[in-house]
Amino acid sequence: MEEYSVIGKRVPRIDAKEKVMGEAKYAADYSLPGMLWAKVARSPYAHAKILNIDTSKAEKLPGVKAVITGKDFNGWTWGFMATTRDESPLAVDKVRYMYEGVAAVAAVDEETAEEACSLIKVDYEELPGVFDPEEAIKEGAPVIHAYRANNVSVEYHWDFGDVDKAFADSYIVREDRFETGKVVTGFLEPPASLAYYDPSGNITVWAAKQSPYFHYRHLAGCFGLPLSKIRIIQPFIGGGFGGTKNDSVAGDFCVVMLSKKTGRPVKYVYTMEEVLTTCRRRHNMIIYNKMGMTKDGILTAIESRVIGNGGGYTAIGPLTMFLTGYATTLPYKLPNYRYDAWRVFTNNPVSAAMRGHGFTHTRFACDIQMHMIAEELGIDPVEMRIRNAIDNPKPADGYSTINGIKFKTCGLMETIKAATEDPLWADRDKMVKQEGPVSYGVGITGTTYQGGARQLGHQSCGAIVRICEDGTINLITGATDCGQGSDTVLAMIAAEVLGAKYEDISFKRVDTAYTPVDPGSYGSRVTVFAGQAVERASRDAKRQLLEAAGKAWNVKPEEIDIREGFAFLKDKPEKRMSFEKLAKIASYEGAGAVILGTGYSSYGVEELDFSTGTGNGGTSFSFTTQTTRLGVDMETGKIDVTDFTIAHDAGVPLHPVSVEGQNEGGAVQGLSQAIYEGFIMENGRTHNSTFLDYKMPRSTDAPRIKVIDIITDDPDGPFGAKEASEGSHVSAPPSVVDALHDATGIWFKELPVTPEKIVKALKDAGKWMK
Amino acid sequence: MKTFYRRLPKFEYLRPGSMEEALALISGKEGSVKLLAGGTDLIPQVKKREVPVPAFVLDMKSIPGLGNITHHHNGLSIGALATIQAVGADPVINERFAPLSQAALQMASPQVRNRGTIAGNICNAVPSADSAPALLALGAEVKLESRRGARRVPLDQFFTGPRTTVIKEDELLTEIIVPAQEPGSRGVYLKLSPRHSMDLAVVGVAVMGTMENGICKEVKIALGAVAPTPIRAPMAEALLRGNRPTPELIDEAARNALTQCNPIDDHRASREYRCDMVYAMTRRALTRIFGGTR
Amino acid sequence: MNLHCRVNEKEYDLEIKPHMTLLDLLREELGLTGAKEGCGEGECGACTVIMDGKAVNACIVLAAEAEGKEILTIEGLAREGTLHPIQEAFVEIGGLQCGFCTPGMVLSTKVLLDDNPNPTEEEIKKGLEGNFCRCTGYTKIIESVKVAADKVRG
Repeated sequence: MEEYSVIGKRVPRIDAKEKVMGEAKYAADYSLPGMLWAKVARSPYAHAKILNIDTSKAEKLPGVKAVITGKDFNGWTWGFMATTRDESPLAVDKVRYMYEGVAAVAAVDEETAEEACSLIKVDYEELPGVFDPEEAIKEGAPVIHAYRANNVSVEYHWDFGDVDKAFADSYIVREDRFETGKVVTGFLEPPASLAYYDPSGNITVWAAKQSPYFHYRHLAGCFGLPLSKIRIIQPFIGGGFGGTKNDSVAGDFCVVMLSKKTGRPVKYVYTMEEVLTTCRRRHNMIIYNKMGMTKDGILTAIESRVIGNGGGYTAIGPLTMFLTGYATTLPYKLPNYRYDAWRVFTNNPVSAAMRGHGFTHTRFACDIQMHMIAEELGIDPVEMRIRNAIDNPKPADGYSTINGIKFKTCGLMETIKAATEDPLWADRDKMVKQEGPVSYGVGITGTTYQGGARQLGHQSCGAIVRICEDGTINLITGATDCGQGSDTVLAMIAAEVLGAKYEDISFKRVDTAYTPVDPGSYGSRVTVFAGQAVERASRDAKRQLLEAAGKAWNVKPEEIDIREGFAFLKDKPEKRMSFEKLAKIASYEGAGAVILGTGYSSYGVEELDFSTGTGNGGTSFSFTTQTTRLGVDMETGKIDVTDFTIAHDAGVPLHPVSVEGQNEGGAVQGLSQAIYEGFIMENGRTHNSTFLDYKMPRSTDAPRIKVIDIITDDPDGPFGAKEASEGSHVSAPPSVVDALHDATGIWFKELPVTPEKIVKALKDAGKWMK
Repeated sequence: MKTFYRRLPKFEYLRPGSMEEALALISGKEGSVKLLAGGTDLIPQVKKREVPVPAFVLDMKSIPGLGNITHHHNGLSIGALATIQAVGADPVINERFAPLSQAALQMASPQVRNRGTIAGNICNAVPSADSAPALLALGAEVKLESRRGARRVPLDQFFTGPRTTVIKEDELLTEIIVPAQEPGSRGVYLKLSPRHSMDLAVVGVAVMGTMENGICKEVKIALGAVAPTPIRAPMAEALLRGNRPTPELIDEAARNALTQCNPIDDHRASREYRCDMVYAMTRRALTRIFGGTR
Repeated sequence: MNLHCRVNEKEYDLEIKPHMTLLDLLREELGLTGAKEGCGEGECGACTVIMDGKAVNACIVLAAEAEGKEILTIEGLAREGTLHPIQEAFVEIGGLQCGFCTPGMVLSTKVLLDDNPNPTEEEIKKGLEGNFCRCTGYTKIIESVKVAADKVRG
């Protein structure tokens, strides 16, 4: 690999100083003169007809400026596909999950808005609800949406190879039921939105959106305005992880409608409890998994029947169910595969995307089931992984799965080698196995995740590189850094390509009125797509600079290069000038020029086919092998996860600090889904809707983490980059569950594996407190 | 309608300059005053409208002399405003009243321990309050004052149910009194929670005991989060008292403690798990104190 | 009602509502938005500020309780744009991602190191147990605190 000046260096994050000084402004930090505060009044029923809404008392409360209901939105609905637009900003005739928004108030201060909400009187006719997806698809279950009388919101049936024959020919076939938890992204910044609908017909919004251009389209549709009149100004984003901040939620629409009604700016800030009960959450999925193998532990076929608990509306569900099925053909060679999936409406809060989207469910099931078979066959699980692992193809040949997923690099085998040579695995038999009541275990897992995800609709990213006459640079993209470090990586790419100093790049956040349209931050796509756009825009700007330098030195532009803040003659490097001087020459040459470089991404222009399960969901795929060591208190079931080793093929880590940080954070979030987090639901009510009871990990719960980079230099990523974080997020739960098996001798197939579940399983196995 | 409140409701803030003034202020306003010490329970409860909106919030921190931790020959006095952190960090409490300091340091976070008080933890009276089993095992009493006079109530008669106590509306809890412990006594507080910190006890067990010539001379066992109030396990104590605490006897006492419990089945834990954990954790705590001597 | 306090070494004489929290006061009256509201009930630590030398959750402290107190917010930590060594360490090590927990994390670190300039890894974890971070998995934050301790000790 080429020696880079900026790429691969541990530079400080571009936003670090603002953030440590408390100067980074998030949506809730913005205010405007004359601003009103909004609040949404919500339904206490999970399934009910709305008979009448009386807002008169609320309207009369001093300080209240406007009250709206679902009818104010004139029947407008939104959703992922044209055929699934089933959700309105506020419920109109019917509520479909508990605490769905029904009305909203704008008042001079927030406490008045809150008081007014309690004065809104709604007459409901409560309907029988259905909360369990397997109940909801039974004949005679309460119907949640008239347009889907069987409550099936999305359905796929894919078949590749000859699954029945493969099972018949297999030495061993296992069938198990797995279930993933009811979990949420858990960002720390509650969604907030400040909107001004000016009377001349322009909307300006500061909102906590990790994909602001989704919101821009939603607002244009909802308010019947051209996109050019919608201006979303991007504040800093306090964590995204998919779902809620990739979509629009009730408050986002209500602030704009209330601003339209009052002619004043309106602000809404969610409470965390409101987030945990009304915002998007990950699908809870039931997976009936069937896996066949030869006597030697070679995979013959997988059949997955998946039932997704969809909640009250469709949202991004069609993509979720696609992703849950389509990548089961990775990261092990799979010749025969069948997938039957049903996303089911229930009277629960809406399920949507989250980090590790889709993959996390089936990878958990397949990885654990593979180890169960390894145990039955008496084959070492690492040996089994090696026998089935996809090799790193020659980039020119690539690899193609049975359902047409194609990629050019695969470091899976190297990750297995690195993870198993690491002392955490290699020395596991030398480490303490038992200490008082604590039994220790080590687990291993392997996974994949896509980098450069695409879905339906607009996919391309754009970038503008503006060279200032003093040699500093404004980098303008439509990409959003919601914490992952993409602003830093994009600035590094610009500096590397331009030959400028990293410190001279100033990154400008999204303002939909000025920045290029962009799909947003999801599916580990920003570095790949926006990165390619920045690379191209930087080359475009560099070309203009080289032309100016060539003129100044009277040589051909090809004879010159720029690196680390200096332009120089390739053959005679002592002939050089500073980037600053070059920028000045380029800008003032002749009658003067404006140096603007532009570029857009072109990776991955390929359609997905949801109905057949074919197509590439990503431009490239990361591969991970993760080992976990943990201790289980065999009397109380309490788990102490002490160590992770994550060998991860991210292509080339462009900013190693961010790649490590992404892998570490993704893994701890995954760990948490394995043992800590899970909503406790009863009849549509979320019982643990606070941070006290929805148990995200604290500093004291975090393991020591070692990240080992496996370099594969993918041709379909800028500077060889693929993805980081979603892989480790997907690999963590099975890795933890495998380690739990090592410690307890028990296979756990439902997440999260809480201390209570462990004690119950130990009791059932006659292993508790003897 | 359901509203998720971000703001506190309107109330008046009272800042009395003396105990007399404070008692006078609350005596006329039964039912409409909430007492504010550290506020770490009260403010979130009021914000979320989990308690009736008070007309007045009386800040006890302006009353002089309530923040002291005093050691004397017959024990320890903890003022109503002594913070959890101050109690947790007190070296004498750590040495002589170990369950209390262990409980204090396992509660919530530094931010909460810096504001919250041990007295507030007791007055809030949730079954899982960490300081309650510790104080019960230490045989603590509380002092309640009103314009009618002062009274002392043993802590095992203080709690009347989840979030309810014997405190009358015109009374203030001003002091927690912990008697000097027997020479040679040892104590422990064990807390079980899913996370390693900042969590509620699924089960909390405090044990204070004294051994003499291999015989359990005295023992107190207190349990949190396993009944409507924090409780003692007197029958289990009686099994041990005067006997050699063999592993078999400790096991029997721990099983007996289980019979004293009546835990709820809720989203934090099932009744069955809490019962199992009373047994496991009591056995562990007793073994820690008595060492399972044969 | 009237409130007199010092915030970031500046004296304030303010007219406040009795039911206002310290966080409302800082963010909305004084324009100090560095302290964030995450959960609003003392669980997440995003609103951590230092009051008379101790870390507190500003979302569950009444503004009125700040009477006569000295308050330090994240905005008061750097001197004329020069970062405090703790801030430098978080920047160098990359102990932050989305940044929402960062002001509280940095201030909790300050109190931790003021009380214990040479903490063990376990003491660091315990000192930060009141501050949620969802992005980093805490690894780089803990490393930042170790480096900060070295810097502060000099």
